[in-house]
Amino acid sequence: MRIVIAEDDALLRRGLVLLLTGEGFEVVAAASEPDGFLAAVAEHRPDVAVVDVRMPPTHTDEGIRAAVEARRLHPDLAVLVLSAYVEQAFATNLLAEGTRGVGYLLKERVGKVEEFLDALHRVAEGGTAMDPEVIAQLFTRRHAPMERLTAREREVLALMAEGLGNTAIAQRLVVTDGGVQKHIRSIFAKLDLAPTDQVDRRVAAVLHYLES
Amino acid sequence: MSRDAFEALERLAGGLGTAILAFMVLTFWIMVSAACLVGVGLLMIPPMLALTRAVAERERGRLNRWGLEVVTPYLQQDTASGWTARMRTARRDPATFRDLRWVATHGTLGLVLGVIAVLMPTMTLRDATFPFWWGLVPRENQVTSFDLPITTFPAVLVAALVAVVVQVIAVMLAPRMARLQALPGVRLLRPHPSIDLSRQVARLTATRAGALQAHAAELRRIERALHDGAQNRLVAVVVTVAVAKRALAREAAASGLALDGPRAALDEAQSAAEQAVTELRGVVRSILPPILEDRGLSGALSALAAGSAVPCALTADDLGQLPLSVETTAYFVVAEALTNVAKHSGARKALVEVRRDGGLLRVVVSDDGKGGAAEAGGTGLGGIRRRVEAHDGTITLTSLRGGPTTIEVELPCGS
Repeated sequence: MRIVIAEDDALLRRGLVLLLTGEGFEVVAAASEPDGFLAAVAEHRPDVAVVDVRMPPTHTDEGIRAAVEARRLHPDLAVLVLSAYVEQAFATNLLAEGTRGVGYLLKERVGKVEEFLDALHRVAEGGTAMDPEVIAQLFTRRHAPMERLTAREREVLALMAEGLGNTAIAQRLVVTDGGVQKHIRSIFAKLDLAPTDQVDRRVAAVLHYLES
Repeated sequence: MSRDAFEALERLAGGLGTAILAFMVLTFWIMVSAACLVGVGLLMIPPMLALTRAVAERERGRLNRWGLEVVTPYLQQDTASGWTARMRTARRDPATFRDLRWVATHGTLGLVLGVIAVLMPTMTLRDATFPFWWGLVPRENQVTSFDLPITTFPAVLVAALVAVVVQVIAVMLAPRMARLQALPGVRLLRPHPSIDLSRQVARLTATRAGALQAHAAELRRIERALHDGAQNRLVAVVVTVAVAKRALAREAAASGLALDGPRAALDEAQSAAEQAVTELRGVVRSILPPILEDRGLSGALSALAAGSAVPCALTADDLGQLPLSVETTAYFVVAEALTNVAKHSGARKALVEVRRDGGLLRVVVSDDGKGGAAEAGGTGLGGIRRRVEAHDGTITLTSLRGGPTTIEVELPCGS
């Protein structure tokens, strides 16, 4: 898997390169600011970009904007954004363009190598990877349709939002695949998502949830 | 006797109190002046000035209680140390000389007026009742209050009649006497007309706005230093340790050695660094919540209201530009108040109102819970108060047992 990194902190950039190379990924470029990152993406056409939210010059949301821009120019590019803190506006901006191949993690999750690599693979394969913190914060918000869900259904929906598939959800919650499916059907029903061919109900449910 | 006269007498009696003090200070000054001729009195001047100020302040307080607004005029508190410094401060302040002039007038004229006002009713009462007990006292005591000997009963009646007339006149004159007694204080104890207090107010307002802005810049600098400096370094440590752990695991698999000791040490290093990152994020959030920078106060408050465990409605009009430190304080007030609502009140709904009235930001958080909230209860209200008061704001907590509870905070925010 070919990866481009955008991270302004030299030490952290080296750490990421070291980690990913050690795990057998091919880090084709490591940029320290948004323009260099966009140039590297154009030049190397990587599979995945790992991008820090805060980058020069203002250290606010340059990384998010660069990631959105890179996705606009290269729609196939998967993007995993690393953030110093959970900011829901960041996540929403990122997801506004579509949920395929997008991830948003807190920086220190990188240290949990298995989880980080798992998220990286999921994003590279076109899935979604959301930090549990993001999900937890969204969970405290109250919204009418969400209140109709049972505690278990919310758990399932949260894991769906993290980007996990049915089997993975079943494993996490220690239930059968059939049990998970039953919860998901119930969630769809409560969120008024009728089966159609136009909309991926899973994504719609997650979006519903993220936007609520 | 009318109420006005009573009130005037009360004023005159109160004025007598400060007049006695002023008279004493005046006497001291005369003594000190005399001592100055031989040199030693000079040392006494600064303490005398302080004493004069204290007495003048007492009179200001008294006049203010009677509704005559007399603002303290001193340019500087008398905090300098050393004789020369204190003398210089005093000489530069026009209020010093005005205080002295007041001491001279109030200690004499004010004293006489006060004494008359207090003695007159007693004397007239005595003389007016003279006919009833004149015959009962020994001959040498048969004198009026003005020491005129009275020997015949008609004279007694005349004296009583005179006393009544005097008393009536005194009652009519009392309000004027009270005004006359207060006049030197009102004239001399106010700031000299040339000192424009409004200019001082403008200057203080400007310096406060500057301080708030500097404070905001400082908060941003700290936040940046922590997020882009310390936090990144720590995450780099976490990542590097993770790399080392993976390398160690591969090494262990290849060589067949257990290497449990190094692995445990690395695990510990990693979890310590991770904890530090989490704590650091908490610290940053407590000094400058990132959401405020990203979405402004209204956005941050609606996120708080949406995240509240108790359903919460928010009304916030257009708040305009606010200093960042005021926004931060308002944010924490609402956050803390909503936490309290969720934890202690048992309320079913809460209401947050944020309004701007010119130079004031008004934040009201109310709930329909069981009330009885007190600052002493370790509810974080003390923390709110400290934050609010640091910004010259006010906080009012209304929480009767049985509810509801309302916290109202006003923060000056420039205009």
